[in-house]
Amino acid sequence: MGGRDKGQIRIVEAFLSVLIIFSAFTISANLTVTQNRTKNDDLASVGLQALIMLDSDGSLAKYIGDENWNGLRDVLNLILPTGVCFNMTVYDEQMQQINADTISNGGFGGQQIAFVEYVCASRGVTFHCYIIHLLLAVVA
Amino acid sequence: MPTISIDTFFACSLMVLLVLSAMAASSLLLSPHINGVSNENISERYAEISKYLLLNIGEPQDWGQNSQTIPEIFGLAKAGSENPYELDIDKVSRLNSENLYALSYATIFSALKMPDVSFRIELKPIFEVAINLTATYPSANEITYQFEISTGKQGIPVQVELKSYVIARSYFEAKNAFVSSGDTYINVTLSNAVEGHVLLIVIARSVSNTKIVSFGTYVFAHNSGEPNPNVTFLRFSPLNYTLNASCIYPEITLLDAYALAFNYYSTLTQTANSNQSVEYGIPHFVDSGPTLMVITGLNSTSFFAEWVAYPQIPLEIGADFADSNSLSNVFAYRYVVTVNSALYECRVWLGGS
Repeated sequence: MGGRDKGQIRIVEAFLSVLIIFSAFTISANLTVTQNRTKNDDLASVGLQALIMLDSDGSLAKYIGDENWNGLRDVLNLILPTGVCFNMTVYDEQMQQINADTISNGGFGGQQIAFVEYVCASRGVTFHCYIIHLLLAVVA
Repeated sequence: MPTISIDTFFACSLMVLLVLSAMAASSLLLSPHINGVSNENISERYAEISKYLLLNIGEPQDWGQNSQTIPEIFGLAKAGSENPYELDIDKVSRLNSENLYALSYATIFSALKMPDVSFRIELKPIFEVAINLTATYPSANEITYQFEISTGKQGIPVQVELKSYVIARSYFEAKNAFVSSGDTYINVTLSNAVEGHVLLIVIARSVSNTKIVSFGTYVFAHNSGEPNPNVTFLRFSPLNYTLNASCIYPEITLLDAYALAFNYYSTLTQTANSNQSVEYGIPHFVDSGPTLMVITGLNSTSFFAEWVAYPQIPLEIGADFADSNSLSNVFAYRYVVTVNSALYECRVWLGGS
């Protein structure tokens, strides 16, 4: 290669380096997902707080012990904000699903789905421990 | 100038130009995300502050009970409570501007000790009760009034148990409780011997959870002129299970006083009487939810019946963010809280001062 061609190589180098810089920034910008995480955290926080309030006087475990799934669905409908749909599944200590009926207020059409896991214990003479999985979504 | 130098000059110029444009483009690309991270930090801080307001008992711990006490540190939680988000009945009542002993926004702002944070707090029942007079059926000796009672959460019907009370001059009636699926009618029949304004109070309790309680009131004229709005003649300040009723006009004569809950009701006993105000002891009903107090009286010769709830909810206090020029940094947080064993919805708005 003659000395005449050295300048062309530098131009190619310049293009390549700019390409690398652009690619790096584009990829890193797409990897940023903090906004969605924050919104999901808010939704999960709302769901967790609702379960805490229901559990504060033992009524959450009582709904489960009585297998009052309709009552549990109605009370969640009241406590959770309007526009939030939920789907709850209750498991025993062996992770066997307890609720025979669906505890839900509708389909999940929303983009954000938050997951809350909550453990509650009954307050009766016989001790029972329940693991609750609550899925929440904002209605689209 | 040799060709290689010209090539090198162009290459270097192009590299500098493209690097500069890459930096500019990347800053444009990343700025929304950088702002997002900043907003996330603000949101997290405000979320913690909103929890602090509801989980902290404040200083002194019993600042709500004593009408003269101004809190050094603001917090609404009930002292000694084992449950989170359980608020003190008196601290909450002192947020209501209708209460004689209410704290001002400036006082709370100082006690919060966060000069860069302005806030707004709203407390209300989880569902609403609406009462409408739909029909009147007069007869020779009496008139029957038909009311539509609607219970719902933002338009969605809520199945409830309803208990209603009718209060008029020398007249008190507690109707039997019954279940409503969200929309029902009740009839109130009053003899023509009863004169003056009549107060209908409806207390609704969710069928699915007895801790979810709400109420509604309706004042109507029976053989009399149009009724006045509530708190026209009396100013109520319930605090520490004592109801202070201050007369707004000098010629007021108080007649009867009642305390009403879902399962229980009683008459109120005067514990103190001064020139322009009367104090009554509020009974500790075991019911979850508010106790409604009704005082009847005469302003000169016209009868009135006015009421107040204890805890004094619904209420709202704080900055009006609706009028704010910039809402970009105002964050709202919703909580379900317990006051006197009943569940309420609490919304906290926080923004820069």
